[in-house]
Amino acid sequence: MYDFDYHKPSSVADAVKLLSADPDARAISGGQTLLPALKHRLNRPTYLVDLSGIAELRGVKREGDKITVGAMTRHIEVQNSPEVKSAIPALAYMATVIGDIQVRNRGTMGGSVANNDPAADYPSAVLGLGATVVTDKRRIAADDYFQGMFTTALEPGELLVAIEFPIPEKAGYAKMRNPASRYVMAGVFVAKTKDGVRVVVNGAGPGVFRQTDMEQALSANWSPDAVAGIKQASEGLNSDIHGSAEYRAHLVSVMAKRAVTDAG
Amino acid sequence: MSPIPNAETHVGSPRSRVDGRAKVTGAARYSGEFTAPDLAHGYVVNSTVAKGRITRLDTAAALAAPGVLEVFTHENRPRTAWFSYNYQDEVGPPGSPFRPLYDDKVVYSGQPIALVVAETFEAARGAASLVRVSYEAEAHETDLKNRMDEAYEPPKKRTGISPPPKPRGDARGAYADAPVKVSGDYWAAYEHHNPMEPHATTVVWEGGGKLLVHDKNQGVLNAQSYIASVFGLGKGDVRVVTPFVGGGFGSGLRPQYQLFLAVMAALELRRSVRVVLTRDQMFTHVYRPNTFQTVRLGANPDGALRSIQQHAIAGTSQFEDHQEVVVNWAGTLYHCDNVELTYKLAKLDTYTPGDMRAPGAPLGLFATESAMDELACATGVDPVEIRLRNYTEKDENENKNFTSKELRACYQVGAERFGWSKRNPEPRSMREGRELIGWGMASGAWEAQMMKTSARATLTADGKLEVACATADIGTGTYTILTQIGADAFGLRMEDVTTKLGDTTLPYSPVQGGSWTAASAGTAVQLACEAVREKLFKHARKASGSPLADVKLDAVSFADGRIEVTADPSRFVRIADAMRAGGVDRLEAEETAKPSMIDQLRYTGYTHSAIFVEVRVDEELGAVRVTRVVDAVAAGKILNPKTARSQVVGGIVWGIGMALEEETMPDHNLGRFMNHNYAEYHVPVNADVQGIEVVFVDEHDTKVSPIGVKGLGEIGIVGTAAAIANAIHHATGKRVRDMPITIDKVLG
Amino acid sequence: MPDHPTGSDTLPLSLTVNGEARQLRVAPWTTLLDLLREDLGLIGTKKGCDHGQCGSCTVLLDGKRANACLVLAVVKEGSNVTTIEGLAGPGGALHPMQAAFVEHDAFQCGYCTPGQICSAVALVEEGRARTPDEIREHMSGNICRCGAYPNIVAAIEQVLAENAR
Repeated sequence: MYDFDYHKPSSVADAVKLLSADPDARAISGGQTLLPALKHRLNRPTYLVDLSGIAELRGVKREGDKITVGAMTRHIEVQNSPEVKSAIPALAYMATVIGDIQVRNRGTMGGSVANNDPAADYPSAVLGLGATVVTDKRRIAADDYFQGMFTTALEPGELLVAIEFPIPEKAGYAKMRNPASRYVMAGVFVAKTKDGVRVVVNGAGPGVFRQTDMEQALSANWSPDAVAGIKQASEGLNSDIHGSAEYRAHLVSVMAKRAVTDAG
Repeated sequence: MSPIPNAETHVGSPRSRVDGRAKVTGAARYSGEFTAPDLAHGYVVNSTVAKGRITRLDTAAALAAPGVLEVFTHENRPRTAWFSYNYQDEVGPPGSPFRPLYDDKVVYSGQPIALVVAETFEAARGAASLVRVSYEAEAHETDLKNRMDEAYEPPKKRTGISPPPKPRGDARGAYADAPVKVSGDYWAAYEHHNPMEPHATTVVWEGGGKLLVHDKNQGVLNAQSYIASVFGLGKGDVRVVTPFVGGGFGSGLRPQYQLFLAVMAALELRRSVRVVLTRDQMFTHVYRPNTFQTVRLGANPDGALRSIQQHAIAGTSQFEDHQEVVVNWAGTLYHCDNVELTYKLAKLDTYTPGDMRAPGAPLGLFATESAMDELACATGVDPVEIRLRNYTEKDENENKNFTSKELRACYQVGAERFGWSKRNPEPRSMREGRELIGWGMASGAWEAQMMKTSARATLTADGKLEVACATADIGTGTYTILTQIGADAFGLRMEDVTTKLGDTTLPYSPVQGGSWTAASAGTAVQLACEAVREKLFKHARKASGSPLADVKLDAVSFADGRIEVTADPSRFVRIADAMRAGGVDRLEAEETAKPSMIDQLRYTGYTHSAIFVEVRVDEELGAVRVTRVVDAVAAGKILNPKTARSQVVGGIVWGIGMALEEETMPDHNLGRFMNHNYAEYHVPVNADVQGIEVVFVDEHDTKVSPIGVKGLGEIGIVGTAAAIANAIHHATGKRVRDMPITIDKVLG
Repeated sequence: MPDHPTGSDTLPLSLTVNGEARQLRVAPWTTLLDLLREDLGLIGTKKGCDHGQCGSCTVLLDGKRANACLVLAVVKEGSNVTTIEGLAGPGGALHPMQAAFVEHDAFQCGYCTPGQICSAVALVEEGRARTPDEIREHMSGNICRCGAYPNIVAAIEQVLAENAR
């Protein structure tokens, strides 16, 4: 890599101060995405702000009808969390299919949601559950948060602190993972909440998006058969060496069906 | 050569690897892990165009970066050999070898064009990003499809590679007349070796012009003679020592460019230099060529072959004609009177492809054995039965008998272990849950070769033996089998034998490849041990009052540190006493093993296999899982069933990768490989591999090599891809002739 | 400690490596992998891809498996690192997982082996994988190009069975 400085603040306020002071400063959480980017020189920070010393960013809490996951909570902790497993098993399951265990031991939910890689898993749960992204400054509804490939509503210097997930009646997740990298080729998160049904597609397009035809169908009839016949249009989906847009569109229907089955 | 009599032998018994402890404790040291005082680090800069000329190379910023010692380019390259023949190596094909930093010409994308040398790796990597290069790019071609019209038969044949046999009979006429015909076009993607250890060279500057080189390769002597020839050095000044190789699979047969660059920098800077390639850079040299084939089979309704035509076109570089045996296998495996096999090359603007695990064979047999499966479907004859109906006891390509051929037993044993008789021939006839199940099979063959190889055995009075040979152990188990052979020769425990390999000061060996090392180095070690035994026995007979004075060598056994009369073990002389009688404290012999010229003229030697595969296909996703493999292998004598099985299992895993996963994808517009990392080039992971059963069929062969060994490094991969493709057809009814068989092809 | 001529100050770092407390100074950009291999001479931890894709650099970081190439050393202040060199017992007695790898021939070239073993030791500790399918899934972060996977699974199954007794 190359020359950069390093800071390890112990509070959100100090971290925000450091991140706001220099537009080329970068926060590091688990480092599973940032380090490869640094090695490829895709990212050249002046200094890194290590979030691992900030206790308030960690942990999972259940409060009433919502689960709050701290930004620095690692995938393995989500996977193992009794609160998540009992309240939103689909979210715990999602954590078990991210990368491999080495990655899950280091990677964090905040890192994944802040980065918003189109092939990431968590964004579909955040949008699918209608979660709220909590930052040091404000609360952002998931519908307003994701803004396309690697783009979010986060302002420069703004720090993602936690994500609040409303507890759904039912939820399910299914993904087709790239057999080599284990990134999502197409995944579908389905949830039935008191506010209605959400169906969110990840991996297939440039960012997560809601599949409204499937939402309507499931609102009328919550069953795998209800979505099995709904075709996803391939226009605008990703087409790359791992799969064509048509294949990803096909996968969306299959994964939706399997996600509903999984949700029960 | 007489077999060494010994009731309890190490040879033939499962033995754990003698280098196992070093490998499981992290003590084994690989080429990029040797160090030296004042070690400098090199980082390679690669070209970003596929063809053209470097018009400007600005190294000023890199040179000014902290810690940078030098930036080598074609403009300041120290003097090296002028002629391209100086860059030839032991296994290279005909042509003019690539010469790193030779001039301003770019002949492939990823070509090394500069080496930044700095005090630390980070400094070198950082400075490498500051080298500015301008090119005058020329139109390039990396797409085999666009060059097939210009394909040609290589005018000069590559040493050791049999060109296709002359046509026999009238293959075209017989095909036209055949009542049953199958034909198809087959593709095989580019593949990269991807050994876990990236290519690396550490050159230790020993002063006085002497170099100690630790280089990742499959043959230290080949690397040594390359360096000596290119840099005009005496072989005495270059010692290459490579005790461990983190996977080769063919990628270490020829010297790779980091060797040249590290030696060049060390000579010029007069200090120790290490150059390690990154994983990305592992996609900037050798690979398995993109290959196109057409197969036509004509047969009688009972499945008897009347015509075989197989034609291949493989890509090669503009500067060398890499050749491998792709099409000959059909003519070796089956009886047929009308056979036409051709093999052509097409020039592309790429680096020269090279040997990759069983070069040629799995590609050729993917086509042949898929076509045989189609023929089985067309005639309604069982796939095993149709192969038995076309069985040949003679290699009809060469019109010679086989040294041995137990392929018939492979079919029978493999089918039985797999439960083949329960197969319903109808495609799509088996299903469980979401998945269709398919059973397929194929035959495999690989040439059993032996190469001239020398070895030394040294026995000391304390009953310890050292065996030594310059060959490599690239994970093959060579350390272990040579230890077993040596231990058996003197009735020693494995712990009493030390095997030394991978050092140019040791007796001659060719590169490790082609599955020939066990037969060749094994025989050499056995000969050297026999020579020491004879010397020892002579001394033992001379001992005063020797109980062996009136017996012959063939009447004694070596066991427990002594020489004893086989029929009466109470009569013996201890090794130490025999040496004392001879007035020596050590006995040494170096012997050279060579293949028998007479047997080579009369016979051809092949390892054979029959491989049976079960796949499960999720039809909604097109995803294929290989859930069961049975591979029955006839490979002559099995020296160590434990490591032998591992060799075959590894080959099968490679076959799974070839069939379903591995593909380096070029962007033909850029002339460059796109997926140059493990996240996008899919090699099999643990979850991709399930039950694999390997069965070694008994095969006694006295002609293939003096120790009856045929070799196992390649046979595991050979028929695997074809068997998987056939199983996919059985599961889905879909015949995919384009490897790898990825989801889109299964669904499409 | 080699110098880091690209500039910037080094930072102090306290680590326990294979049971030994170390007071080190590292540049901020030094990965744990490079610290182990280049500065501490612990070459048993391998560099296969340097991008977290192959698992050759798997070490135990506070008892959990991690790819050392994707961890900045400074981030792990106060941590406990166990590498392959730290697994064997006093007097060189092999760790049961090391012994099982030798017995089952769970490697060929040996380059991925330290990472596989560290990963397997953590797998047993995690207690999640029991069946061969679960072991395969939980060992899929470690590539073995030699294809020793069936033997790796057999070695792990043996250690799991020994522990169950």
